[in-house]
Order: sequence, then structure tokens, then C-alpha cells
Amino acid sequence: MDPSEDPAPDGRRTFRRTLLRVMIVQVVALALLWLLQARFGG
Amino acid sequence: MGTLNWIIVLGYLTYVVVDGVRRAKGTKEIEGYFLANRSLPWWAVGLSVMATQLSAVTMIGTTGQGATDGIRFVQFYFGLPIAMVILGVTLVPFLHGAKVFTAYEYLERRFDAKTRSLTAFLFLILRSLSCGTIIAAPAVVFSAIFHWSLPVSVAIIGIPTVIYTMIGGVQAVTWADVKQMVIIVGALVAVVVVLFVKMPVHPGAALHIAGATGRLKAFDFHFTLKEDYTFWSGIIGGTFLMLSYFGTDQSQVQRYLTARSVDEARSSLLMSAYWKIPLQALVLLVGVLVFVFYQFKAPPLLYNPAQEAQVEAARGPQYHALQQRYAQAFAAREAAARTLADAEGPRAKSEAKAVFRDREADVDTIRSDALAMVTQVTGDASKDVNYIMPRFVIDQLPVGLSGIFIAAVMAAAMSSIAAELNSLSTTSVIDLYRRWIRPEASDKHFLTVGKIATAFWGLLACFVATYAARLGSLIEVVNLFGSFFYGSILGVFLLAMIKRARPVGAFFGLIAGMAAVAGVAYFEPEVTFLWYNVIGALVVVGVGMALSLLPPRTSASPQPSAR
Repeated sequence: MDPSEDPAPDGRRTFRRTLLRVMIVQVVALALLWLLQARFGG
Repeated sequence: MGTLNWIIVLGYLTYVVVDGVRRAKGTKEIEGYFLANRSLPWWAVGLSVMATQLSAVTMIGTTGQGATDGIRFVQFYFGLPIAMVILGVTLVPFLHGAKVFTAYEYLERRFDAKTRSLTAFLFLILRSLSCGTIIAAPAVVFSAIFHWSLPVSVAIIGIPTVIYTMIGGVQAVTWADVKQMVIIVGALVAVVVVLFVKMPVHPGAALHIAGATGRLKAFDFHFTLKEDYTFWSGIIGGTFLMLSYFGTDQSQVQRYLTARSVDEARSSLLMSAYWKIPLQALVLLVGVLVFVFYQFKAPPLLYNPAQEAQVEAARGPQYHALQQRYAQAFAAREAAARTLADAEGPRAKSEAKAVFRDREADVDTIRSDALAMVTQVTGDASKDVNYIMPRFVIDQLPVGLSGIFIAAVMAAAMSSIAAELNSLSTTSVIDLYRRWIRPEASDKHFLTVGKIATAFWGLLACFVATYAARLGSLIEVVNLFGSFFYGSILGVFLLAMIKRARPVGAFFGLIAGMAAVAGVAYFEPEVTFLWYNVIGALVVVGVGMALSLLPPRTSASPQPSAR
């Protein structure tokens, strides 16, 4: 495989789906940390 | 520590070694030994990436940091998911698709042999030293807690790891990492459950007590180059650090080169992106809950039993007087904590918090006096924070669970050491031995040399660990030394993805990047290390592109064939 060759379309779709999930998990994790700070950190 | 606990620890060590040796079956050539024939599933690679990054320092140092400083350290990892996504669409397809053994091998294909050799050499120096410090950190703690001599502590952690890594290669490393992640996460979750069960106040009150001392402050939006843990240093500096670490450090690159395909390699990195921040927050929260637990159960004045014995021997009466003051201050703080836990209504809570903070400050002052006494007696700054978690585990956890936690600390140490030994061996064989000494030798020969190299680096790391522990500041020196060129190496890989970049730009850009970081460290010592990676990478790309765009003076002579 050429180093710069794009992965298969199926792979790209899976990657995008996983990427979306990653971003959701990060947003939820950061929101929980923010909630912890706002609720108990004062 | 109890027979059952030791049976668990010994059983775990034996299992890891036996399983590692079993994995050696079928490893007959270097592609299998170093890259598992690029056949591993994404979830195993992902767990291996996470286990490699989670060392014993995380289990004992980071939990201790959570107990004393709270969860703000989590900001350090805010850049990790961003870095993983960037790597997933940039470097991973390049490196995995190029079918290389090492990240540095790719640099020769793109640039020249001297850029490859310089980056490989820097990796070998840094990783061999850091591998020693990774063994040293838990070995020193075990030595003090269990009264083992330091060489014995180093051997207990180092020797089994060297054996399974040497015999089993990357297959053993990865599958051991998978089991190690399970035991690490299981132990952390079990400790959280035990803490909540044993806590004399309800969880909400426990969090109010932690929050009153600022330990639940996860975000600091203050922009400064002089503080390690702020939102901005985590997002910007952290992204560059993680790009450097996961994109150019062979100990990480080798994990995802073992994946079956580019997509599985990317997915393995995204798995780490999924869990890193929640996992790190969990580790820090364990420390915070230990802090709250010790509001109601008197903790030792000094957590390090070895240093406590030294201080008692040298300054007995003074230390005992301090202990009496500590007992009174603890009783006053416990009463304040209970008042805070029971307080209802904003005004009562606010008043209770103010009193609790004052009592906490009294306890802190006495602990500072005790730590100053340690420094006077031993001549070393005390690293008492690293002993908070081990003392809690041994004194407070139920029989069996403390054994599992100690096994988890060993697992964390072993997974990091194994990945580093494996990558040190790969780089020495592929980038140095096969490239410069015996390019035409057989696979069988390289396999034997790979095993010898693993044993060599393992024994060197154990040797360094024994001395690193005595030279406390060496760990900081190694970390600082690493940050000098981590970002610069990232800059070279960024150049590799720019079509117009040429070898002369890559090599001299790398040197300019390292010089720029050294200059900043010397003339602006207050700039925190996270920014070194940003500076190094940007200078390499800037200088590298400037040199690449200059017209070439003569045509380059052909390189010897690279393997």
C-alpha cells in the first residue's frame, strides 16, 4: 500500500463514526468535570 | 501485608511470565517478534497503548497528587483526544501504510540516513534512561514500604518483565498489556467502592469536603506560559506533547504498527482517546477520596515509613512533640469536617467551609514542619506524596484487595517497561544493527540479536534504576532532557508530510529546533516544559521549510540502499 493512500471507504465511515463517539465521550467527560467543579468546588 | 495478598502478587507475576513465554510459540522471524506479523485486533492494540502510557507513577504518584493537589492535573490530558484524531488522519496512515518497523525507518525513506540515525539515537538515549526511572519510581516505594533492599525491589519488577519481553516479543507485551489494563482498572474501581463504603459521611458530603479545599477544581482558564496545568497549556502544549509521544516515539508507534490494518491502527488510538480523560479523572478522584477518608481516620504524620524511622532516630523528642500537635490539629479538623458534612443551607455551609479551611491549614503547617525535618535529617527533599496511596492500600484496604492493588501497580510498571524494552530492541536492531552493521544477515540472526538487545536494555534499565533512585533529581533531568527534543522530532515528522520539504531542511531544522528549546530553557527558565514541544515543532518546521526552499547547491550523492 502506498503510504499516502486513503483507507477503504468502509474504514473511513467507521473512523468518522468512532470519531463522533470519541467527541461525545469527551464532551460528556468535560461536562461532568465542570459540573463537579461548579457544584462542589465553591 | 498478609499471606493471601502475597499469594495474589506472586500468582500474578508467575502468570504474566508463563503466559509471555507461551506467546513465544510461532515467533520465528523479526516481523512476528517486533510487529506480531501486523495481525493484532484494534481493541488489543488500544488497550496496549493505554497500558503503556499508564505507569506505576500513575498508580502511586498521580493518586498521591490527587490527595494533595486535587484533580487539576487532568487538564494535562485535554490535548490527548485532539492529538489522537490528528494522528489518525495524518501520521498513522503514512507509518502503517509504509510497512516500516520503526518510525525512524520512515524518515530515511522520506529524507536521508543521517536524519533517521539521529532521531533513532536520541530515542535510544532517552528511552533507556527513562526506562530506568520507570522501574525506579515504584521500586523506591516498595523498598520503603516492605523493607526490601532497593536492588531486590528493582529485580522483582524488572526481571520478570525482561524475561517475558525477551522471549515473547511484541505478542507477549501486547497480550500482557491487555490483562494488565483489566487488573489496573478493576483495582481502581474496587478502591473507589471501598472508599465510599468506608467513608463515614455520604458521597455528596465527601465531595463538599473535597471541594472546600479546591481539590475539585478541574479547569483553570488563566493563560500563562509559567504554569504546568492550565486549560490552555493542556489544550495547546498537551496536544503537541501527545502528538510527539504517540506520533514519533517508537514505544507508542510500535503498538499501532502491530494492528491488522490502517483502520484498526486508527481505531486503537481512538480507543485511547475515548478513555484517557475519564480514566485519569478516576485516578485523581481516588486520591481526592483518600484525602477525604483521612479527615475521619488519623493518617500518619509521615507516609514514608523509612523516613519516619530515620527522623524518629535522629530527632525523637522533637518529632514526638510534632506528632502531639498533629493529633490535636487532626481532631479539630475532623470536628470541622463533620460540621461541614452536616451543614444545611448556604450560610451554614459557607461558615463551616471557612472553619474547615482554617483547620486544614493548621494540619498542613504541621505536615510541612515534619517534611522540613525529613529534609534536614536525610539531606533529600521528601517525596512523601508518593507514599500516600501505598500506605492507604496496606493500612485500610481489606485482605486480598490490597494484594490486587499491589499487583496492579506492578502491572502498570511492567506494561510500560515491556513496551519500552521492546521498542528499544526494535530500534537498535532495525535502525542501527541491520542498517549499518549487518544489512544482509538472515531473519533468524536478527531475531537472536533482537532477544539479546532486549536483555541488554532490560539489564541496563535495572542498573540505571538502582542508581536513579539514589540520584533523586535524575528523573527530573531525564524528563527535561526528553522535552528538549520531543517537539523537535515531531517537527521532522510534520516536515515529512510536506511535499516540498528536503533532507537538508529536516536535518538542520531538527538541530535548530533542539537548540531553540535549549535556548528557551536557559534564558527563560520559567516557561513550563509543555510549551517546549510547541516551540521545538514550530522552529523545526519553520527552519526546515526555509532551508528546503533554498535552491540546492549540488545534486545529492545517492544513498546506500536502506533496509
